[in-house]
Amino acid sequence: MKGFDEIQQLWHGQAPDPNVSFDTVLKRIRSSRSAFARKLFWQSISTGVAVAILLWMCLTVDFSTWTTYLAIAIMIGCICYYFASQLRDYRDISNSRDLLSKPQDYIRYLKTFQQKRYRFNTRNYAIYEVCIAVAFALYGVEMYFALPLWTFIGLVVFVIFWFVICHVVFMKQYIRNENARIGEMIDNLERIKGQFSESKES
Amino acid sequence: MNNQRQLFQQLFEENSKRVYHLCYGYTGDSDSANDLMQETFIKVWQNLDRFRNQSQFSTWIYRIAVNTCLSYLRTAKRRATDELNDSIIENYTEEPSEKQEQIAQLYKSIAQLEENERIIITMVLDEVPYPEIAEVAGISEGNLRVKIHRIKHKLTEIYNSNERV
Repeated sequence: MKGFDEIQQLWHGQAPDPNVSFDTVLKRIRSSRSAFARKLFWQSISTGVAVAILLWMCLTVDFSTWTTYLAIAIMIGCICYYFASQLRDYRDISNSRDLLSKPQDYIRYLKTFQQKRYRFNTRNYAIYEVCIAVAFALYGVEMYFALPLWTFIGLVVFVIFWFVICHVVFMKQYIRNENARIGEMIDNLERIKGQFSESKES
Repeated sequence: MNNQRQLFQQLFEENSKRVYHLCYGYTGDSDSANDLMQETFIKVWQNLDRFRNQSQFSTWIYRIAVNTCLSYLRTAKRRATDELNDSIIENYTEEPSEKQEQIAQLYKSIAQLEENERIIITMVLDEVPYPEIAEVAGISEGNLRVKIHRIKHKLTEIYNSNERV
């Protein structure tokens, strides 16, 4: 049988110390900075290239209907919105001032952040899906005049089929997984928040 | 910049061991503890200009360490205690001495506490003053004393019952 004082003595005699040196931490600071910069760089490049291709199409290809131009504008809007949202959230979690808050406030922040990400990945994705569908429909007007009727009908059927598959199978499954993941995370955060509550012990 | 680096090195040397203990007590394995400790000091470096002298540097670093440990839950599920014990024992030398086994047993016992209890007790074991622990945990000193009394009792009981097995 040991008392708490003996346990404390045991604690002070423990051998394992951190096996991370100051230089390792400094190295990781430099590499994580450059990793952040690299990620931003490649995201910016890919967004820029996608937007440039769409703009180039607008300028060089002579589309016969104004609906195609509107479709391209919607696509550019979606790409830019997605990139800006990812960038904002990434910066938010990396440089959060809440990191210096009380644990209970930090847990609240984590919870809000996770819920925001959940909304972005589910509800906003649904809006994004609608926008892309509208863009395809608008582009379909151009295709209607350019393609033989049966080719056009085949294309429309294929696009509708693809959208239905994405929505009913992939999206539903994704939302189900996200629901389970966020549910577990929120439960854990709630449980820990309860542990830090003032009223629990007093 | 050089001054900032010197200050950071000093903070690292003075606090890394205790931050590591806190992370080890929280996660129950040394690899995760080393990762969380590194992450904590990266955040310390990134936020060094936000330190406003409202508290001691050690309190401020502990706060960052605690919040970093809390966010660890976002990416890792809690492991079963038996699994924790295995990984703790594996982290010691090939033939663990009786003392090392007792320390492994102690970490196993800490892992059986609730998350906030693990955080508080590792600071108590490292003899961090009570007002500093209260500030880090964001609770009143009176409430903290009640909690500490209960956690000490709980840890002693768990440790002794684990030792009997």
